[in-house]
Amino acid sequence: MLAVDTPQYLPENIFFGIIAFIMVVSALRVVTTRNVVHAALWLILVLAGVAGNFILLGNEFVAVTQVLVYIGAIVVLFLFGVMLTRAPIGADAHLDNDQRPLALVVALPLLALMGYVLWDAWKDTKITEAGPPIVASTSVLSDSIFKTYLIPFEAASVLLLAALIGAIVLARRD
Amino acid sequence: MTSALLLAADPLYAQGVDLTALLITILKVVVAFAFLLVATMLMVWFERKLVSDMQNRIGPNRAGPWGILQTLADGTKLFFKEHINPIRAERRVYVLAPFLSFVPAFLLFCIVPVSGNWANGGDGTVELFGRTTYLQLADPPVGILFALAMSSIAVYGVMLAGWSSGSKYPLLGSVRASAQMVSYEAAMGLSVMAVVLVTGTVSTHGMVASQAGDGLFHVLPNWAVFTTLLVPFVIFVIAGTAELNRPPFDLVEAEQELVAGFNTEYSSIRFALFFLAEFMNTVTMSGIFVTLFLGGPSGPAPIGPAWLWGCIWFFLKTSAFLFMFVWFRATLPRFRYDQLMDLGWKLLIPLSLGWLLMLAAVQLSGQQNWNPVAVGAGVILMFLIGWSLLRSANAKARAVHLGEEVNA
Amino acid sequence: MSSYLPVLVLFVLAVAFGLLSLLVSITLSPKARSQAKEAPYECGIVPGREAPERFPVKFFLVAMIFIVFDIEIIFFFPWAVVFRELGGYGLAVIGIFAALVFESFVYLIGNGALEWGPRQRQRRAEIVSPDRTLTSTIRRVGAEGRPAALEPAALAPAAHHAPGHGDHGHGDHGAAA
Repeated sequence: MLAVDTPQYLPENIFFGIIAFIMVVSALRVVTTRNVVHAALWLILVLAGVAGNFILLGNEFVAVTQVLVYIGAIVVLFLFGVMLTRAPIGADAHLDNDQRPLALVVALPLLALMGYVLWDAWKDTKITEAGPPIVASTSVLSDSIFKTYLIPFEAASVLLLAALIGAIVLARRD
Repeated sequence: MTSALLLAADPLYAQGVDLTALLITILKVVVAFAFLLVATMLMVWFERKLVSDMQNRIGPNRAGPWGILQTLADGTKLFFKEHINPIRAERRVYVLAPFLSFVPAFLLFCIVPVSGNWANGGDGTVELFGRTTYLQLADPPVGILFALAMSSIAVYGVMLAGWSSGSKYPLLGSVRASAQMVSYEAAMGLSVMAVVLVTGTVSTHGMVASQAGDGLFHVLPNWAVFTTLLVPFVIFVIAGTAELNRPPFDLVEAEQELVAGFNTEYSSIRFALFFLAEFMNTVTMSGIFVTLFLGGPSGPAPIGPAWLWGCIWFFLKTSAFLFMFVWFRATLPRFRYDQLMDLGWKLLIPLSLGWLLMLAAVQLSGQQNWNPVAVGAGVILMFLIGWSLLRSANAKARAVHLGEEVNA
Repeated sequence: MSSYLPVLVLFVLAVAFGLLSLLVSITLSPKARSQAKEAPYECGIVPGREAPERFPVKFFLVAMIFIVFDIEIIFFFPWAVVFRELGGYGLAVIGIFAALVFESFVYLIGNGALEWGPRQRQRRAEIVSPDRTLTSTIRRVGAEGRPAALEPAALAPAAHHAPGHGDHGHGDHGAAA
């Protein structure tokens, strides 16, 4: 799914290649590293790569959402959870377990399925234009949030309510 | 109108990036980089000197005239100091943490408009080597959200420094600091949104442009501090101070309890990088205050080139905030942690949320000719309901809290 | 995209600056390792206990509540950009959203999720109330994370004395033990 192979899009294609490589390597490191905090840090790199790809696609608002919510809040929450309970400095031998075959059985078909779906949907489509005029995308997005997807948007607030109640339940003593 | 302002992007790249544009970019970046380093150096000196004055001391007065080179001397000294690697530290993260702290500090400055031709209806552009450009490093379409993103990344530097040191005071300090930074980020975001609402744009350049003209009665400037009715400005200044971990919110390095906080185990240049980040963030944050609320570099330009006046206005406005930061430090005692959390969560966040909705209602009522009395009543009702809900929740929480203590 | 070019250049420059100063400093600085220097800093005292293993869950809660507000801000942003076009409809939509989130926030405060402070208005009579036995006090400090070997020894006196002395004077015995 590269952009058109014209010289005009060469920088985009180069950056996509670099970002994709970094993302794959760090995604592997997330699962192979033996330190929980390191795993979280590699995860940040993966998420930052996703943000970078959104910028390449010209949707900056989604990119900044990715950074603000995922990197700035959710991984912070992970790290808090890890650091506040027990984060042994150095490798943790118990981090890995012997369920690799099982994990493979789950992961490989999933990879195949998702790969097939992607391939099936796009075939050899190329992204011809750089999308809509880059910056207008935020207002396009607002229109779809507040008109087309109004019900899911309001439902999101209920979801947040559920999350907060969950937080309270977690923190209770009894 | 909104989308037209939104589309404003640096005209330098209007025809794509060629060699000239690239060279201009590099020149701008190098100048900004040097400017930031010098400004940070001077800020450290300014703070020490001013605090000394306020405390009836002399302060640094040996290196250079009025001790102005003191920071340079201190920095140079730190290059020659031993690198101590604490035995319990997690080496890789320990080395990485200062970078996570000072790189966002540099990047934050990208979106601050430093100058430009704003006088007499100018659009803030200048001519540089035959190209039209902005006097700000970058004007990404996400604008001010870029600043929020950078400050959310800066949390990691503090957090990981404390964890990787393998020592208890840094760990305690960093847990405190990251919870504090996270708490005030929400209030900050909401008060920034008020400025977005009033100026109708997210790009920092657009914000300055919409604040440049004449405001109320042609006496006051059209600054967002007035058009957002002061409250978001106050909230943003408080939240910004807390985000910087500066006094009176410097619980992170409460020396009676935590030695030096998250960077206790850092020595030599690694400590210097944290120190640099802290003061650079102070300078940049003042710049962001000015951009958001005080019209950035805009102002009258009686004689001479307009961009020079832009620089002067920007410098004067920023210095006012730098002075304020130092003044806070010399005057205000440190908050207690529960006071800090109460202020952030129970006052600033609800207030900025309510203010945002109120501003939107007021703006819309002007545009759509709604009945002002009805709007006013609705706003007052909203604030009353919100306040009484919060109050009763608070009372209940306190009762539960006491019961827990006695019966546990 | 090209508006991110300066950001990229500045990023490279900043990282290079950091690496360079680190490198220069490593070559220039003296190397004299010693055990005392590399020990965790404890104000001159030989480090004894480990760093605390557990922290109050409230820190975790703060991070969790922050996610909620972060998402709220993210939704506010596209609205703030186009709110003039959306008019009263947009205000109503975002008002309902904000009210729902605010309501859950109030619930959270009501449940004491954001109570950090010392217990205020607490009188002495409450502190020495008969409910506070040695057992309960130790539990409050957090015996959960400690090695199990400590517990029987510390708790034994209270457990043995308590039935014999009836209800009055628990607190006194607890303090003496």
